[in-house]
Amino acid sequence: MQRYDYLKTIVGDVGDALVVSAGLAAREWQALRPGDGNFRPRTLGLASSIALGIALGLPRRKVMAIDGDGAFLMNLCGLPTIAWQNPPNLIHLLFDNQCYEASGATVTATVSGTDAVALAKGAGYRHACWVKNPQEFREEFLKAWKRGELGLIAAKVEPGQPELPPIRVDEVENKYRFIRHIEATEKRSILSPADHRPSS
Amino acid sequence: MDSKKAAQVIVQGLKKAGIDFVATLPDLKVVEVIGAVDGDPEIKHVPLCREEEGVGICAGAYLTGKKTALLMQNGVLLNSCNGLTTTCLQFQIPILLLVYYAGDFGDRGFTTVGSVTEPVLQGLGIRTYVLRKTEEVEEALRGAQILAEDSRRPVAVLLTKSVLGVK
Repeated sequence: MQRYDYLKTIVGDVGDALVVSAGLAAREWQALRPGDGNFRPRTLGLASSIALGIALGLPRRKVMAIDGDGAFLMNLCGLPTIAWQNPPNLIHLLFDNQCYEASGATVTATVSGTDAVALAKGAGYRHACWVKNPQEFREEFLKAWKRGELGLIAAKVEPGQPELPPIRVDEVENKYRFIRHIEATEKRSILSPADHRPSS
Repeated sequence: MDSKKAAQVIVQGLKKAGIDFVATLPDLKVVEVIGAVDGDPEIKHVPLCREEEGVGICAGAYLTGKKTALLMQNGVLLNSCNGLTTTCLQFQIPILLLVYYAGDFGDRGFTTVGSVTEPVLQGLGIRTYVLRKTEEVEEALRGAQILAEDSRRPVAVLLTKSVLGVK
């Protein structure tokens, strides 16, 4: 099973949650749930930290971070910070394919037995679990969604993804669209008048 | 001015600049500032484990409308260069960087990190103001935040010992 097989099981459940994911997962999520509520960082590891910032800024909005094992390992120090802040509106998903897939598929430390769920628990996550298949993943996801507490759900997956359309939005456009989406759905003004001026 | 009073001046300056979200990593010289941030009900304080995650957290909060600052020492600023480049600069996301200037003129023990601080910021294209006088705090922080928002880039204010009220 690949990450895509897991992600597609929850598309109908997430509503208008704000989703932060980098790398190959970002393209899959954009194909499964098109729209402007998806933010796609470019710094390996920072998806979960960016999701934390969003979750703290919008405490009544559901936020999801989709991580891979390479990104997760690169930002281990972000886990205690997330657990310390303990945002009840944040769900952290981890798909462990045991390699840096987007960077040439060199193996990561999880191939040696590094346990991401144990790391999350050790960092202070009260809820963190492995799931064995997409059905179990959806069940745990729905539980976490209802529970309304910080949680991590992790699955071992095979590398690879189906043929997907490319994303035709660059970073700056992604940022503006994401902010405009929040402005529209939260009915709040975020960008100041200065941000509307034509460039000169 | 002692360090407690100096910290109050800096935090009041941050609030007047509109800052309402501050992520921090301690240095002995900014402990009072962190304490003042932590004790202020109008500011959301996020203590960090490492600086680069602070770039991500501040960037995420900015997307929701927060006015963010990242308080740290210059040595650890170097840890956050990738995040500053591929998150802040690439997405045009402002952050006010409040950086204790270890290894500044007259400081001992940190000259290596002091000597690379301004060149690194310059290399990143991050405009930088060295803050030396308490009477300049309010104007400098307000100006830096306006510049950050308007340029949609991080802007750095280097906090010297004199402005922090420490030796």
